[in-house]
Order: sequence, then C-alpha cells, then structure tokens
Amino acid sequence: MNPKIIYPVPERQKMFYRNIRNLFRIIFLISGAICVLVNILVGGKAWSLIVVWSLFSFWRLVFSLRLVEFSIYSHAIKVTFYLFVMMVLIDRFLAPGWAETVVPIVMFAYLLVMFVLFFVTYDKKEKHLVSIMMLGAFNLVTIPYSIHSWPIENWIAFAFQCASFLLFLVMIIVNWKDIIYELKVRFVAKTR
Amino acid sequence: MAKNKDLRIVKLTGGLGEEDSIRIEHFFSELDEHIDLPMVSHDMLINHFVKAFEYYLDNGYKPDKIIEFLDISNLGDYYKGKKRRFFFLDNAAIVYPLGMKFGQMPIFRLSVELKENIVPELLQIALDFTIKRFPVFSAVIKNGFFWHYLESTNNVPEINEENDIPCKPISIILRTKSSIRVLYYKKRISIEFFHVITDGNGGLIFLKTLLGEYLRLKGIDVVKNNGVLDINEEPKEEEFVNEFANEKGEGDFSTFVDKKSVQLSGKLSNLNLTKIIHFKLASDDLKEVSKKYGGTVTAYILSLIFLAAKKDSIKKEGLFNIQVPINMRKFNGSRTLRNYSMYFNASMDLKDVDDRSELVKEMGKQIKEKGSEKLMRQMMQTTGKLIRSLAYVPLSLKIPVMQIVYGYLGNSIIGCTLSNLGMIQADESLSKQIDSFEFIIVPGKPNRVSATLVSVNNTTVLTIAKANRETVFEDEIYNLMKEDGLTIEVEGSVEYES
Repeated sequence: MNPKIIYPVPERQKMFYRNIRNLFRIIFLISGAICVLVNILVGGKAWSLIVVWSLFSFWRLVFSLRLVEFSIYSHAIKVTFYLFVMMVLIDRFLAPGWAETVVPIVMFAYLLVMFVLFFVTYDKKEKHLVSIMMLGAFNLVTIPYSIHSWPIENWIAFAFQCASFLLFLVMIIVNWKDIIYELKVRFVAKTR
Repeated sequence: MAKNKDLRIVKLTGGLGEEDSIRIEHFFSELDEHIDLPMVSHDMLINHFVKAFEYYLDNGYKPDKIIEFLDISNLGDYYKGKKRRFFFLDNAAIVYPLGMKFGQMPIFRLSVELKENIVPELLQIALDFTIKRFPVFSAVIKNGFFWHYLESTNNVPEINEENDIPCKPISIILRTKSSIRVLYYKKRISIEFFHVITDGNGGLIFLKTLLGEYLRLKGIDVVKNNGVLDINEEPKEEEFVNEFANEKGEGDFSTFVDKKSVQLSGKLSNLNLTKIIHFKLASDDLKEVSKKYGGTVTAYILSLIFLAAKKDSIKKEGLFNIQVPINMRKFNGSRTLRNYSMYFNASMDLKDVDDRSELVKEMGKQIKEKGSEKLMRQMMQTTGKLIRSLAYVPLSLKIPVMQIVYGYLGNSIIGCTLSNLGMIQADESLSKQIDSFEFIIVPGKPNRVSATLVSVNNTTVLTIAKANRETVFEDEIYNLMKEDGLTIEVEGSVEYES
C-alpha cells in the first residue's frame, strides 16, 4: 500500500516543552519526597512543607497553565494565592512574626499593579474583569491576618488593608454593570 | 492606521480610471463605517477586502462586479460593536473541558476537496461573511463558577495555509480568540472544530455554508438547501438548542459502564496523530459488497475493523469495543447545530472474530439493538441525571475529580471509534464542485486508531487516523477490502515525527 501524499509535510515536531515538563515532574517528585523523608528523620522545624509547596507552586505556575481563559490577570490570581500561602507557611513553620505586616503590603502592591494594568487596557476589560475582581476579593481575605492587632500594634498593615479595600470599592463602582452581568452568567448552575 | 489604509487603497486604484477609483474609495469608506473593532482587528478586516479586490482586479473583474461580490451588507452588524451573548454547554460538550489536559483537546476536522485550487483571498472573505450566521462557532469558552460556558465574540476570523499536523490543540483558545481553525491546502478546505461547540453534523452545515459562500464569491451560485444556510438570515434559536435538556426521565448509570477494551499493539506516540490514511471507494461498490454479506456499510466496516484489530492486537482474545456515535437528529429532525450525538459500543470477543459474514450479521444486529432510539434516549437521560446531580458542585472541584475519573476510565473502555457521517446531501450546484469530503477524529489515548466514513457523489472516504507507528491495522483493512474486490484509491499523510 503506497498512499498518495495529500498533506503537507510538517517540520519535525518540537517536543522541547513537553520533554522539559516531564523531566521537571520527575525531578520535583523525587526531590519533594526526599525532603519530606529527611525532615521526618532529622526532625526539627517543618521546612520540607515549604519546599514541597515551592515545588508545587512552580509546577502549577510554569508547567500547568490554565487551558481556559488564560490571561496575565488570571495567572496573577494564581500567583497571589501561591505567594500568600507560601508567606503564611514560612511565618507559621519557619520564621514567625513578620507576615502580619508583610502580607498586606505585598498584597496591596500586587493589587495596585494589576489595577493600573487593568485600566491601561480598559478596552479589554470584559476579558479581565472577573480575574481582577477575584484578586481584589482575595485581598480582602487577608484582612483577618492583621486586624486582630489593630490599631496600635499593626497600624501599617491595617492602613494597607484599607487601601486595598478602597481600590476594590472603586473597581466595583466603576464597573458595576459589567460585574452584575458577569455574576449572572458565571453563577448559573443549571444547564438548559 | 488611516494613513496605511489610504496607501493600500491608493495602490489598489493605481491603474484604474477616475470613476472606478472613486467607486472603490467609496466602498472602503462605507466598509470603514461598518466596522467598530479594536485597531488591529479593524486593520486586519480591511486588509482582507484589499486582498480580495487585488485578486479580482488581477483576474480582470470590473469594479462594479467586485463590489457586487463583496457587498458590505454581507457583514451585517457582526463587526459593529460587541453584543455579548452566552451559551450553556450542551450535555455532551460539558465533559470535554473538564477532562482536558496539557496537549490534549477534543478536536475533529472536516475537509472538502474541490476540483480547483483554493483562492485564499476569497475563502477569507467567505469566512468573514459566514461567521455571523453561526454565533456559537465564533464563541470562546469561559469558566463559570459551576460549569464552563460559551460567550460570543466578534473577533475577525483568519484562515491559514495548512502546514502542520492536523487537529493539533487550538492554541488560540488560550488567548480566547476562537474555537475553530480554518485551513486551506491546494484544493482542500479544512475546518477543525473544538468539540464543545458542535459535533460532526453541525460542523458539516458550517462547512457547507462556508463553501456555498466561497463559491458565490467565485461566481458560482449555489442553491441554499440541504444544509447550506443563508448567511444573511438571522441565526435561529432552534440552532442553539441543547436537545439533551429536553430529554426528561430518570436514566440508569449502568448504561455508561462497560468493561475495558483490548487495545491495539504498538507504542503510543508522543504526538496525538502519527498518520492519516484515506481509502477512497466507490459508494455503490461498497454498498454492493456490504449487501453481499447481508449488512449495511457501517456493519461491513465494523467487521473489517474487528478483523484488523484481531490481527494487530497481541491478545487474540478478550473484549474489543468500537464506539459508534449515533446522530440523534435522525430521530426527531432537530435542527440544532450543537452537539447532539450519543453512542453505543459495538463489542466482540476477539476469539470469536473470524468469519466475515457472521461478523457483518452480528454487527447489523448490534447496530439495531444497541443503537436503538430507546437505548440512546436512556443514555441521554442518564447524562442529564449525572449533570443535574453535579450542578451545584463548584467547577474548581469538578475539574480535578473529572480528570481522575477520565484518566482512569477515559477511552480505555473502547479500542477504536467509527463515526459515519453518511451520505452528504448537497444540491447539484454544490456537489458538482466537490470531489470528496474527509472527516478526521484524533484517537483518544490509549486508543491507537480511530476511523470515520463520509460519502458524497458516489465517493466514500474511509479515514484511519493513527496514534502509533505500526501499519498492521490499515494494511489488513486494505487487504480485506481488496479481497472483496473493491477498487481503492489510497491517499494520506507522511508519518509525522517528533
């Protein structure tokens, strides 16, 4: 059987990303397991938890990108989440006492940058609105982290929380019509 | 941008008389008023028209005739500001994005081979005009809190010359641009569809309508019937219907359960597709041979697949399942362009796969019984029940769970797929321009092969899409058909390499 070739002959397929991905998966799994094992055997602080979370974050942020609605904004939420958990883990298990102040500052800075980007590309707001709203909402989650020591012990953190909340509020006021549309569409549970 | 546009139009009208130049300039200023898009898209669309004008002028057409061909009213108001509209995924489509993984996307391709080389400039305009008639086909997939859904866009679609492996994941989906890919190569127009938007039958209507518009632009009038839609007609609600939702009743989950199937031998390639083989056959001869064995064409091809699978498989016994999709439209005449197919598994223990006549008869029996309307409806009800039961589970939980379930079961309960689109109905004005249709489904892992059938103008094309490098399967199908006296024209691709 000798078929007549009716399809173009493509270039040899580059599998670089796929191969690198597979290689990293193996390296991450082995190194993560070794760290946990060594940590259990040696004892002491739970540093392996931070290593495992770092490896997992790297994997998720570099090799496991969203297949639907991927954008710099949706990726930013992912980064925020992994960063937030990382800071909390370090604070709780490795070096306590700094996250209450640092977390709100980092989060506010992050939110500010994303808001500026959002308004710079405002003509594409429909594509990014939900991501940016989620980022704002996520920022609010960090409030309890600093509020318990308000106002004397941690006024810096509280001030940044307030600023984040104000930014979030401005966002809602400016885009309320689109937000209502998005909420209506995205929260439908029944298919028809 | 305005300066560039002027330059392009100045160049276009360079060798023309004053009257013709004014007419063309007027055309483009009117076109400009019909477009309200971001700068890049606006420029892209204008460029499509400039190129089409160039093609027509180079081929000696008069500006009056060109303006008639490229009538701006064909754009409608599609490119004039965004009108947001969303569509729920139908019950068949709902599972696709949940099970999607890196490098794997459920995509199928429909192609039409014409008698003359494709004119890309006109195909592009045909697509620009046609897309408004099919809002779901220009929609992009989005994440809801509970389910994925589709949102319409007014993105300018773009055709491309084919230069890669068919049915590669549509990377543009990452940039939320489109869910289809339109390609051309020599005499062939191909459209690759992300399965969430439609099935083979819906895709065929899109392809035929696009083809009808392309031929009109070439000066060939095509009668708008038999699945060629009027592109200037408003899209009808019945075309968006999720027919699954109209199916009431309590299904039984057992309809989904099946034993794991024997798989063909050979290492699965890193590529989703390693080779395509088209067997072109005379439809009448194929029917005659099938009749001789006492069955339909589908039953005959199924029997060949079982025989080839036995030859190709290391295991010579054990259950081998072939998934056969059933077009549900044939039961109720639905006009939906969304997914509306169910399937059954044609099954045989490989140790019983021997006599061809017996096999064809057995397949005929299974098609009748397992592919009956009653059983298909039961399956639809089960799908509906499953989806209702998961309705309030957040999507972020559904995805990992479904990926585990899909990864565990996935396509391992089948060894192959055979999808038969049947005889394509087309008016003579259209069919005399067509040489053949082709239909490609990528085998889902761990399957090594998938098969499709489609016929037009007494030509049936049996397509085998491969995911391994062994050739035993297709060689055996070829030999078996030769034994039956069929004349076969074999076409295909080279073996794709990574």
